[in-house]
Amino acid sequence: MASRPTVSIRSTTGEASGSLPLPAVLTAPIRLDVVQQVHKSIAKNKRQPYAVSEKAGHQTSAESWGTGRAVARIPRVGGGGTHRSGQAAFGNMCRGGRMFAPTKTWRRWHIKVNQGQRRFAVVSALAASALPSLVLARGHRIEGAEEIPLVVSSNVESLAKTKDAVALLKAVNAYADVTKVSNSRKFRAGKEKIRGRRYRQRRGPLIVYNEDNGIVKAFRNLPGVEVVNVRRLNLLQLAPGGHLGRFVIWTEGAFGLLDEVFGTFDKASVYKKDYVLPTSKITNPDVTGIINSSVIQAVARPANSKVTKRPWTQHKNPLVNKGVLFRLNPYAKTIRRQELLKQERIKAKKAKKPKTPSSASKEFLGTLFAP
Amino acid sequence: MSRDLEWLLIRKYNSNVVKRLPEGPLFSKEAANLFNIHSHKYSGLANSKTISIEEYKGVIQIVTRKPKASPHAVSSGVARSTLRNRTGSRRALGATSKLFKSGYRPDLRRAALARTSALLASQKEKKPRPAKKPRGKKAIAAASA
Repeated sequence: MASRPTVSIRSTTGEASGSLPLPAVLTAPIRLDVVQQVHKSIAKNKRQPYAVSEKAGHQTSAESWGTGRAVARIPRVGGGGTHRSGQAAFGNMCRGGRMFAPTKTWRRWHIKVNQGQRRFAVVSALAASALPSLVLARGHRIEGAEEIPLVVSSNVESLAKTKDAVALLKAVNAYADVTKVSNSRKFRAGKEKIRGRRYRQRRGPLIVYNEDNGIVKAFRNLPGVEVVNVRRLNLLQLAPGGHLGRFVIWTEGAFGLLDEVFGTFDKASVYKKDYVLPTSKITNPDVTGIINSSVIQAVARPANSKVTKRPWTQHKNPLVNKGVLFRLNPYAKTIRRQELLKQERIKAKKAKKPKTPSSASKEFLGTLFAP
Repeated sequence: MSRDLEWLLIRKYNSNVVKRLPEGPLFSKEAANLFNIHSHKYSGLANSKTISIEEYKGVIQIVTRKPKASPHAVSSGVARSTLRNRTGSRRALGATSKLFKSGYRPDLRRAALARTSALLASQKEKKPRPAKKPRGKKAIAAASA
Protein backbone atom coordinates (compact mmCIF):
# COMPACT_ATOMS: atom_id res chain seq x y z
CA MET A 1 0.00 0.00 0.00
CA ALA A 2 1.16 3.47 -0.79
CA SER A 3 2.23 5.68 2.08
CA ARG A 4 -0.55 7.62 3.73
CA PRO A 5 -0.92 11.09 2.27
CA THR A 6 -0.10 13.95 4.56
CA VAL A 7 -1.51 17.43 4.95
CA SER A 8 0.74 20.31 5.85
CA ILE A 9 -0.04 22.61 8.74
CA ARG A 10 -0.09 26.35 8.08
CA SER A 11 1.28 28.75 10.65
CA THR A 12 -0.42 32.08 11.42
CA THR A 13 1.66 33.67 8.68
CA GLY A 14 0.51 31.10 6.13
CA GLU A 15 3.62 29.05 5.44
CA ALA A 16 3.70 25.31 5.91
CA SER A 17 5.26 24.08 9.14
CA GLY A 18 5.03 20.38 9.82
CA SER A 19 2.43 17.98 8.59
CA LEU A 20 -0.20 15.49 9.77
CA PRO A 21 -1.36 12.25 8.13
CA LEU A 22 -4.72 12.47 6.40
CA PRO A 23 -7.37 11.13 8.81
CA ALA A 24 -9.26 8.06 7.59
CA VAL A 25 -12.61 9.84 7.78
CA LEU A 26 -11.58 12.14 4.94
CA THR A 27 -11.26 9.15 2.60
CA ALA A 28 -14.65 7.68 3.49
CA PRO A 29 -17.16 6.98 0.70
CA ILE A 30 -19.16 10.01 -0.43
CA ARG A 31 -22.84 9.26 -0.83
CA LEU A 32 -24.70 12.26 -2.16
CA ASP A 33 -28.07 10.55 -1.80
CA VAL A 34 -27.52 9.69 1.86
CA VAL A 35 -26.41 13.24 2.67
CA GLN A 36 -29.43 14.74 0.94
CA GLN A 37 -31.88 12.37 2.55
CA VAL A 38 -30.50 12.81 6.05
CA HIS A 39 -30.19 16.56 5.66
CA LYS A 40 -33.76 16.85 4.49
CA SER A 41 -34.95 15.07 7.61
CA ILE A 42 -32.76 16.62 10.28
CA ALA A 43 -33.28 20.11 8.92
CA LYS A 44 -36.89 19.70 10.03
CA ASN A 45 -35.97 19.07 13.64
CA LYS A 46 -35.65 22.74 14.56
CA ARG A 47 -39.20 23.61 13.57
CA GLN A 48 -41.68 24.95 16.06
CA PRO A 49 -45.34 23.96 15.87
CA TYR A 50 -47.84 26.48 14.58
CA ALA A 51 -51.53 26.32 13.78
CA VAL A 52 -54.53 28.55 13.29
CA SER A 53 -56.88 28.98 16.22
CA GLU A 54 -59.13 26.02 16.85
CA LYS A 55 -62.11 28.40 16.99
CA ALA A 56 -61.32 30.44 13.87
CA GLY A 57 -64.38 30.65 11.58
CA HIS A 58 -66.59 28.70 13.92
CA GLN A 59 -67.61 31.42 16.38
CA THR A 60 -71.08 31.79 14.95
CA SER A 61 -74.34 29.87 15.29
CA ALA A 62 -75.04 29.77 11.56
CA GLU A 63 -77.41 27.19 10.13
CA SER A 64 -78.45 26.37 6.61
CA TRP A 65 -81.73 27.86 5.40
CA GLY A 66 -82.48 24.74 3.44
CA THR A 67 -84.02 24.79 0.03
CA GLY A 68 -86.80 27.04 -1.25
CA ARG A 69 -85.30 30.45 -0.60
CA ALA A 70 -83.33 30.72 -3.80
CA VAL A 71 -79.95 30.89 -2.03
CA ALA A 72 -77.16 28.36 -1.68
CA ARG A 73 -77.65 25.83 1.11
CA ILE A 74 -74.49 26.90 2.97
CA PRO A 75 -74.94 27.70 6.69
CA ARG A 76 -75.99 31.33 7.17
CA VAL A 77 -75.77 33.58 10.20
CA GLY A 78 -79.16 34.06 11.77
CA GLY A 79 -80.86 37.05 13.28
CA GLY A 80 -81.23 40.56 11.98
CA GLY A 81 -80.12 44.09 12.64
CA THR A 82 -76.52 43.63 11.51
CA HIS A 83 -74.84 43.11 8.19
CA ARG A 84 -73.57 39.78 9.33
CA SER A 85 -77.04 38.26 9.47
CA GLY A 86 -77.81 36.21 6.44
CA GLN A 87 -74.14 35.96 5.39
CA ALA A 88 -72.67 32.56 4.69
CA ALA A 89 -70.37 31.06 7.33
CA PHE A 90 -68.05 28.13 8.18
CA GLY A 91 -67.05 27.03 4.68
CA ASN A 92 -63.52 27.59 3.38
CA MET A 93 -65.05 29.47 0.45
CA CYS A 94 -66.85 31.93 2.73
CA ARG A 95 -65.70 35.31 3.92
CA GLY A 96 -65.11 34.91 7.63
CA GLY A 97 -65.17 31.13 7.33
CA ARG A 98 -62.44 28.76 8.50
CA MET A 99 -59.59 27.74 6.25
CA PHE A 100 -59.58 24.46 4.37
CA ALA A 101 -58.13 21.68 6.51
CA PRO A 102 -57.10 23.95 9.43
CA THR A 103 -53.47 23.42 10.44
CA LYS A 104 -52.98 21.55 13.70
CA THR A 105 -50.18 21.74 16.21
CA TRP A 106 -49.91 17.98 16.17
CA ARG A 107 -48.50 17.83 12.66
CA ARG A 108 -45.42 15.58 12.40
CA TRP A 109 -42.80 18.29 12.77
CA HIS A 110 -39.74 16.25 13.62
CA ILE A 111 -38.30 13.31 11.74
CA LYS A 112 -36.29 10.58 13.36
CA VAL A 113 -33.17 9.53 11.49
CA ASN A 114 -31.27 6.42 12.43
CA GLN A 115 -27.96 7.09 14.15
CA GLY A 116 -26.04 5.04 11.61
CA GLN A 117 -27.45 7.09 8.78
CA ARG A 118 -26.72 10.37 10.52
CA ARG A 119 -23.14 9.31 11.09
CA PHE A 120 -22.78 8.11 7.52
CA ALA A 121 -23.99 11.46 6.26
CA VAL A 122 -21.57 13.41 8.47
CA VAL A 123 -18.68 11.20 7.40
CA SER A 124 -19.62 11.60 3.74
CA ALA A 125 -19.85 15.35 4.07
CA LEU A 126 -16.45 15.45 5.78
CA ALA A 127 -14.86 13.39 3.02
CA ALA A 128 -16.34 15.73 0.42
CA SER A 129 -14.95 18.76 2.25
CA ALA A 130 -11.45 17.39 1.65
CA LEU A 131 -11.74 17.45 -2.14
CA PRO A 132 -10.95 20.80 -3.77
CA SER A 133 -13.18 20.28 -6.80
CA LEU A 134 -16.23 19.56 -4.65
CA VAL A 135 -15.52 22.57 -2.44
CA LEU A 136 -15.13 24.73 -5.55
CA ALA A 137 -18.31 23.27 -7.00
CA ARG A 138 -20.19 24.33 -3.88
CA GLY A 139 -19.09 27.88 -4.66
CA HIS A 140 -16.40 28.51 -2.05
CA ARG A 141 -13.62 30.86 -3.15
CA ILE A 142 -10.61 28.70 -2.42
CA GLU A 143 -8.65 29.18 -5.63
CA GLY A 144 -5.86 30.93 -3.75
CA ALA A 145 -5.55 28.32 -1.00
CA GLU A 146 -2.54 26.07 -1.28
CA GLU A 147 -4.18 22.84 -0.22
CA ILE A 148 -7.53 21.39 0.86
CA PRO A 149 -8.04 20.29 3.69
CA LEU A 150 -6.71 23.49 5.17
CA VAL A 151 -5.08 22.94 8.57
CA VAL A 152 -3.80 25.78 10.73
CA SER A 153 -1.57 25.49 13.75
CA SER A 154 -3.06 25.04 17.20
CA ASN A 155 -2.12 28.48 18.49
CA VAL A 156 -4.97 29.82 16.33
CA GLU A 157 -7.28 28.43 19.02
CA SER A 158 -6.03 31.11 21.38
CA LEU A 159 -6.67 34.02 19.03
CA ALA A 160 -8.88 36.48 20.88
CA LYS A 161 -9.38 39.33 18.44
CA THR A 162 -11.35 39.31 15.20
CA LYS A 163 -8.59 41.48 13.70
CA ASP A 164 -6.14 38.61 14.21
CA ALA A 165 -8.68 36.17 12.80
CA VAL A 166 -8.95 38.26 9.63
CA ALA A 167 -5.16 38.43 9.37
CA LEU A 168 -4.97 34.64 9.62
CA LEU A 169 -7.64 34.09 6.96
CA LYS A 170 -5.81 36.49 4.67
CA ALA A 171 -2.51 34.72 5.30
CA VAL A 172 -3.93 31.35 4.26
CA ASN A 173 -5.79 32.91 1.29
CA ALA A 174 -9.19 32.04 2.72
CA TYR A 175 -10.47 35.57 3.18
CA ALA A 176 -11.89 35.68 -0.35
CA ASP A 177 -14.63 33.35 0.85
CA VAL A 178 -15.59 35.80 3.64
CA THR A 179 -15.62 38.67 1.14
CA LYS A 180 -17.93 36.63 -1.05
CA VAL A 181 -20.32 36.28 1.89
CA SER A 182 -20.39 39.98 2.75
CA ASN A 183 -20.99 40.87 -0.90
CA SER A 184 -23.82 38.38 -1.11
CA ARG A 185 -25.91 39.89 1.68
CA LYS A 186 -29.41 40.63 0.41
CA PHE A 187 -32.75 41.53 1.93
CA ARG A 188 -34.84 38.43 2.34
CA ALA A 189 -37.96 38.27 0.28
CA GLY A 190 -41.30 38.06 2.07
CA LYS A 191 -42.62 38.22 5.59
CA GLU A 192 -39.63 36.60 7.26
CA LYS A 193 -37.87 39.99 7.29
CA ILE A 194 -39.95 40.97 10.31
CA ARG A 195 -39.38 37.61 12.00
CA GLY A 196 -35.72 37.98 12.79
CA ARG A 197 -34.42 36.71 9.46
CA ARG A 198 -33.90 40.02 7.73
CA TYR A 199 -31.04 39.11 5.40
CA ARG A 200 -29.92 36.14 3.43
CA GLN A 201 -26.30 35.48 2.61
CA ARG A 202 -23.93 32.72 1.48
CA ARG A 203 -22.04 30.47 3.87
CA GLY A 204 -18.35 31.05 4.44
CA PRO A 205 -15.69 28.79 5.92
CA LEU A 206 -16.42 26.50 8.85
CA ILE A 207 -13.73 26.70 11.53
CA VAL A 208 -13.28 23.46 13.46
CA TYR A 209 -11.34 23.63 16.72
CA ASN A 210 -10.36 21.26 19.46
CA GLU A 211 -10.24 23.59 22.45
CA ASP A 212 -11.74 27.05 22.70
CA ASN A 213 -9.16 29.47 24.01
CA GLY A 214 -10.86 32.46 22.44
CA ILE A 215 -11.18 31.19 18.84
CA VAL A 216 -14.99 31.21 18.95
CA LYS A 217 -15.20 34.86 19.91
CA ALA A 218 -12.43 35.80 17.49
CA PHE A 219 -14.19 34.33 14.47
CA ARG A 220 -17.90 34.49 15.24
CA ASN A 221 -18.47 38.06 14.08
CA LEU A 222 -17.14 37.43 10.57
CA PRO A 223 -19.96 37.14 8.06
CA GLY A 224 -20.70 33.58 7.04
CA VAL A 225 -18.04 32.06 9.28
CA GLU A 226 -19.18 29.37 11.69
CA VAL A 227 -17.10 27.88 14.47
CA VAL A 228 -17.62 24.38 15.82
CA ASN A 229 -15.92 21.91 18.12
CA VAL A 230 -14.56 18.83 16.37
CA ARG A 231 -16.56 16.56 18.72
CA ARG A 232 -19.83 18.21 17.74
CA LEU A 233 -19.64 18.28 13.94
CA ASN A 234 -23.07 18.71 12.46
CA LEU A 235 -24.42 17.84 9.01
CA LEU A 236 -26.35 21.11 8.81
CA GLN A 237 -23.02 22.92 8.93
CA LEU A 238 -20.98 20.44 6.92
CA ALA A 239 -23.43 20.26 4.02
CA PRO A 240 -25.70 23.32 4.17
CA GLY A 241 -28.76 22.83 2.02
CA GLY A 242 -27.73 19.22 1.52
CA HIS A 243 -24.94 20.40 -0.79
CA LEU A 244 -21.63 18.66 -0.25
CA GLY A 245 -18.25 20.33 0.05
CA ARG A 246 -18.27 22.98 2.80
CA PHE A 247 -14.98 24.81 3.06
CA VAL A 248 -13.57 23.65 6.41
CA ILE A 249 -10.58 25.18 8.16
CA TRP A 250 -9.19 22.81 10.77
CA THR A 251 -6.97 23.63 13.68
CA GLU A 252 -4.11 21.24 14.16
CA GLY A 253 -5.63 19.80 17.35
CA ALA A 254 -9.01 19.24 15.74
CA PHE A 255 -7.50 17.60 12.66
CA GLY A 256 -5.38 15.29 14.80
CA LEU A 257 -8.44 14.29 16.81
CA LEU A 258 -10.50 13.19 13.79
CA ASP A 259 -9.21 9.63 13.88
CA GLU A 260 -10.35 9.39 17.51
CA VAL A 261 -13.72 11.04 16.97
CA PHE A 262 -14.71 9.01 13.93
CA GLY A 263 -12.37 6.05 14.22
CA THR A 264 -10.73 4.51 11.18
CA PHE A 265 -11.70 1.73 8.83
CA ASP A 266 -10.44 -0.91 11.26
CA LYS A 267 -10.26 0.89 14.61
CA ALA A 268 -13.38 1.87 16.51
CA SER A 269 -14.04 5.46 17.48
CA VAL A 270 -13.29 6.62 21.00
CA TYR A 271 -16.23 9.00 21.18
CA LYS A 272 -18.86 6.90 19.41
CA LYS A 273 -19.51 3.44 20.80
CA ASP A 274 -18.56 0.57 18.47
CA TYR A 275 -18.34 2.84 15.47
CA VAL A 276 -16.02 2.12 12.56
CA LEU A 277 -16.04 4.04 9.32
CA PRO A 278 -18.09 2.78 6.39
CA THR A 279 -15.94 1.31 3.63
CA SER A 280 -16.18 1.84 -0.09
CA LYS A 281 -17.65 -0.88 -2.23
CA ILE A 282 -14.67 -0.63 -4.54
CA THR A 283 -11.18 0.30 -3.42
CA ASN A 284 -9.87 1.38 -6.80
CA PRO A 285 -12.43 3.51 -8.58
CA ASP A 286 -10.36 3.65 -11.77
CA VAL A 287 -12.32 0.85 -13.45
CA THR A 288 -11.14 1.66 -16.96
CA GLY A 289 -7.58 1.53 -15.67
CA ILE A 290 -8.22 -1.92 -14.22
CA ILE A 291 -9.79 -3.20 -17.43
CA ASN A 292 -6.97 -1.86 -19.56
CA SER A 293 -4.28 -3.17 -17.22
CA SER A 294 -1.96 -5.81 -18.67
CA VAL A 295 -3.03 -8.29 -15.97
CA ILE A 296 -6.63 -8.31 -17.14
CA GLN A 297 -5.83 -7.95 -20.80
CA ALA A 298 -3.52 -10.98 -20.65
CA VAL A 299 -6.39 -13.30 -19.73
CA ALA A 300 -9.15 -11.64 -21.72
CA ARG A 301 -9.99 -13.36 -25.00
CA PRO A 302 -9.50 -11.24 -28.10
CA ALA A 303 -12.47 -9.29 -29.33
CA ASN A 304 -14.62 -10.85 -32.01
CA SER A 305 -14.48 -9.38 -35.46
CA LYS A 306 -17.21 -6.89 -35.95
CA VAL A 307 -20.29 -8.13 -37.77
CA THR A 308 -22.23 -5.32 -39.29
CA LYS A 309 -25.30 -5.57 -41.44
CA ARG A 310 -24.95 -4.06 -44.85
CA PRO A 311 -26.67 -0.73 -44.59
CA TRP A 312 -29.20 0.83 -46.93
CA THR A 313 -30.41 -2.42 -48.55
CA GLN A 314 -34.04 -2.58 -49.59
CA HIS A 315 -36.23 -4.90 -47.59
CA LYS A 316 -37.55 -7.74 -49.77
CA ASN A 317 -40.90 -9.31 -48.93
CA PRO A 318 -40.50 -13.11 -48.96
CA LEU A 319 -44.20 -13.55 -49.73
CA VAL A 320 -43.65 -11.68 -52.94
CA ASN A 321 -40.01 -12.21 -53.76
CA LYS A 322 -39.34 -15.82 -54.67
CA GLY A 323 -35.58 -15.60 -54.31
CA VAL A 324 -35.87 -14.48 -50.69
CA LEU A 325 -38.61 -17.00 -50.00
CA PHE A 326 -36.49 -19.91 -51.23
CA ARG A 327 -33.59 -18.69 -49.13
CA LEU A 328 -35.77 -18.68 -46.04
CA ASN A 329 -37.68 -21.88 -46.82
CA PRO A 330 -35.91 -24.17 -49.33
CA TYR A 331 -38.81 -26.61 -49.27
CA ALA A 332 -41.08 -23.94 -50.74
CA LYS A 333 -39.31 -24.47 -54.02
CA THR A 334 -40.24 -28.18 -54.07
CA ILE A 335 -43.83 -27.40 -53.10
CA ARG A 336 -44.17 -24.91 -55.90
CA ARG A 337 -42.58 -27.21 -58.42
CA GLN A 338 -44.82 -30.10 -57.38
CA GLU A 339 -47.83 -27.85 -57.57
CA LEU A 340 -46.95 -26.74 -61.06
CA LEU A 341 -46.45 -30.29 -62.23
CA LYS A 342 -49.76 -31.29 -60.71
CA GLN A 343 -51.53 -28.47 -62.46
CA GLU A 344 -49.97 -29.53 -65.71
CA ARG A 345 -51.05 -33.11 -65.22
CA ILE A 346 -54.62 -32.12 -64.52
CA LYS A 347 -54.59 -29.86 -67.50
CA ALA A 348 -53.29 -32.63 -69.69
CA LYS A 349 -55.95 -34.98 -68.41
CA LYS A 350 -58.75 -32.57 -68.96
CA ALA A 351 -57.67 -31.62 -72.43
CA LYS A 352 -59.86 -33.24 -75.02
CA LYS A 353 -58.23 -35.75 -77.25
CA PRO A 354 -58.06 -34.43 -80.76
CA LYS A 355 -60.31 -36.27 -83.19
CA THR A 356 -58.05 -38.34 -85.22
CA PRO A 357 -59.82 -39.24 -88.45
CA SER A 358 -60.10 -42.93 -88.38
CA SER A 359 -58.79 -43.96 -91.67
CA ALA A 360 -60.22 -46.89 -93.53
CA SER A 361 -58.39 -50.11 -93.45
CA LYS A 362 -55.96 -51.12 -96.16
CA GLU A 363 -58.16 -53.85 -97.38
CA PHE A 364 -61.09 -51.54 -97.82
CA LEU A 365 -59.01 -48.98 -99.59
CA GLY A 366 -57.53 -51.65 -101.86
CA THR A 367 -60.92 -52.73 -102.93
CA LEU A 368 -62.14 -49.14 -103.23
CA PHE A 369 -59.43 -48.04 -105.51
CA ALA A 370 -59.21 -51.26 -107.32
CA PRO A 371 -58.36 -50.69 -110.93
CA MET B 1 -11.43 9.93 -5.53
CA SER B 2 -11.59 9.45 -9.25
CA ARG B 3 -12.57 12.25 -11.58
CA ASP B 4 -15.50 10.16 -12.82
CA LEU B 5 -16.95 9.97 -9.32
CA GLU B 6 -16.36 13.67 -8.83
CA TRP B 7 -18.32 14.33 -11.99
CA LEU B 8 -21.19 12.21 -10.72
CA LEU B 9 -21.28 14.31 -7.55
CA ILE B 10 -21.24 17.69 -9.30
CA ARG B 11 -23.23 16.68 -12.38
CA LYS B 12 -26.72 17.21 -11.08
CA TYR B 13 -26.13 20.61 -9.59
CA ASN B 14 -23.31 22.84 -8.53
CA SER B 15 -22.83 26.55 -8.13
CA ASN B 16 -21.53 26.96 -11.69
CA VAL B 17 -24.38 25.42 -13.64
CA VAL B 18 -26.57 27.82 -15.61
CA LYS B 19 -30.04 26.45 -16.27
CA ARG B 20 -32.17 29.07 -17.94
CA LEU B 21 -34.73 26.98 -19.78
CA PRO B 22 -36.07 23.66 -18.56
CA GLU B 23 -35.57 22.10 -21.98
CA GLY B 24 -32.63 24.28 -22.99
CA PRO B 25 -28.89 23.75 -22.95
CA LEU B 26 -26.89 23.49 -19.74
CA PHE B 27 -24.07 25.97 -19.44
CA SER B 28 -21.31 26.29 -16.92
CA LYS B 29 -19.63 29.32 -15.38
CA GLU B 30 -16.42 27.52 -14.44
CA ALA B 31 -13.30 29.48 -15.27
CA ALA B 32 -11.59 26.39 -16.61
CA ASN B 33 -14.50 25.41 -18.82
CA LEU B 34 -13.47 26.88 -22.16
CA PHE B 35 -16.64 25.88 -24.00
CA ASN B 36 -18.89 26.99 -21.11
CA ILE B 37 -20.84 23.77 -21.57
CA HIS B 38 -21.84 21.70 -18.54
CA SER B 39 -20.51 18.29 -19.48
CA HIS B 40 -17.92 15.87 -18.16
CA LYS B 41 -15.65 16.43 -21.12
CA TYR B 42 -15.49 20.19 -20.78
CA SER B 43 -15.84 20.38 -17.00
CA GLY B 44 -13.21 22.54 -15.38
CA LEU B 45 -13.47 20.64 -12.10
CA ALA B 46 -13.89 16.95 -12.88
CA ASN B 47 -10.94 16.54 -15.24
CA SER B 48 -7.33 15.90 -14.43
CA LYS B 49 -6.24 18.18 -17.27
CA THR B 50 -7.99 21.51 -17.66
CA ILE B 51 -7.11 24.80 -19.26
CA SER B 52 -8.31 28.21 -18.26
CA ILE B 53 -7.27 31.44 -19.86
CA GLU B 54 -7.69 34.39 -17.56
CA GLU B 55 -6.97 38.07 -17.57
CA TYR B 56 -5.82 39.59 -14.34
CA LYS B 57 -4.88 43.27 -14.26
CA GLY B 58 -4.28 43.40 -17.98
CA VAL B 59 -2.09 40.30 -18.08
CA ILE B 60 -3.34 37.17 -19.83
CA GLN B 61 -2.47 33.93 -18.08
CA ILE B 62 -2.83 30.34 -19.21
CA VAL B 63 -3.60 28.17 -16.21
CA THR B 64 -3.32 24.42 -16.68
CA ARG B 65 -3.92 21.72 -14.15
CA LYS B 66 -0.99 19.44 -13.42
CA PRO B 67 -2.25 15.90 -13.95
CA LYS B 68 0.29 14.42 -11.54
CA ALA B 69 -0.43 16.84 -8.68
CA SER B 70 -1.88 15.60 -5.40
CA PRO B 71 -5.69 15.47 -5.39
CA HIS B 72 -5.68 17.85 -2.45
CA ALA B 73 -3.52 20.54 -4.04
CA VAL B 74 -5.36 23.68 -5.13
CA SER B 75 -3.14 26.61 -6.08
CA SER B 76 -0.04 24.42 -6.10
CA GLY B 77 -1.80 21.97 -8.40
CA VAL B 78 -1.91 24.32 -11.37
CA ALA B 79 0.77 25.71 -13.64
CA ARG B 80 0.52 29.33 -14.72
CA SER B 81 2.18 30.80 -17.73
CA THR B 82 1.89 34.44 -18.67
CA LEU B 83 1.45 35.76 -22.17
CA ARG B 84 3.82 38.65 -22.53
CA ASN B 85 2.02 41.94 -22.48
CA ARG B 86 1.70 43.91 -25.75
CA THR B 87 3.17 40.98 -27.59
CA GLY B 88 0.74 41.03 -30.48
CA SER B 89 -1.92 38.57 -31.41
CA ARG B 90 0.19 36.29 -33.64
CA ARG B 91 2.75 35.63 -30.96
CA ALA B 92 0.12 35.28 -28.25
CA LEU B 93 -1.84 32.75 -30.27
CA GLY B 94 1.38 30.92 -31.10
CA ALA B 95 2.24 30.74 -27.41
CA THR B 96 -1.23 29.40 -26.68
CA SER B 97 -1.12 26.73 -29.36
CA LYS B 98 2.30 25.58 -28.16
CA LEU B 99 0.50 23.95 -25.27
CA PHE B 100 -1.36 21.63 -27.59
CA LYS B 101 1.71 20.47 -29.49
CA SER B 102 2.66 18.42 -26.45
CA GLY B 103 -0.72 16.71 -26.59
CA TYR B 104 -2.36 18.50 -23.65
CA ARG B 105 -6.13 18.48 -24.25
CA PRO B 106 -6.04 18.83 -28.05
CA ASP B 107 -9.84 18.98 -28.05
CA LEU B 108 -9.69 22.39 -26.39
CA ARG B 109 -7.39 23.96 -28.96
CA ARG B 110 -10.04 25.86 -30.89
CA ALA B 111 -11.72 27.20 -27.76
CA ALA B 112 -8.42 28.19 -26.15
CA LEU B 113 -7.33 30.16 -29.21
CA ALA B 114 -10.74 31.81 -29.40
CA ARG B 115 -10.58 32.76 -25.73
CA THR B 116 -7.08 34.21 -26.11
CA SER B 117 -8.01 36.30 -29.12
CA ALA B 118 -11.17 37.52 -27.41
CA LEU B 119 -9.12 38.66 -24.44
CA LEU B 120 -6.57 40.31 -26.72
CA ALA B 121 -9.32 42.07 -28.63
CA SER B 122 -10.82 43.35 -25.40
CA GLN B 123 -7.47 44.83 -24.41
CA LYS B 124 -7.17 46.88 -27.59
CA GLU B 125 -7.85 50.54 -27.17
CA LYS B 126 -10.81 51.67 -29.16
CA LYS B 127 -10.13 54.08 -32.00
CA PRO B 128 -11.67 57.48 -31.33
CA ARG B 129 -14.70 58.11 -33.48
CA PRO B 130 -14.18 60.78 -36.15
CA ALA B 131 -15.70 64.14 -35.25
CA LYS B 132 -19.17 64.65 -36.59
CA LYS B 133 -19.37 66.99 -39.54
CA PRO B 134 -22.10 69.58 -39.20
CA ARG B 135 -24.86 69.08 -41.71
CA GLY B 136 -27.29 71.71 -42.89
CA LYS B 137 -26.96 75.47 -43.20
CA LYS B 138 -27.89 76.28 -39.63
CA ALA B 139 -25.54 73.71 -38.14
CA ILE B 140 -22.61 74.91 -40.31
CA ALA B 141 -23.36 78.48 -39.34
CA ALA B 142 -23.53 77.49 -35.66
CA ALA B 143 -20.25 75.55 -35.92
CA SER B 144 -18.38 78.38 -37.67
CA ALA B 145 -19.73 81.01 -35.30
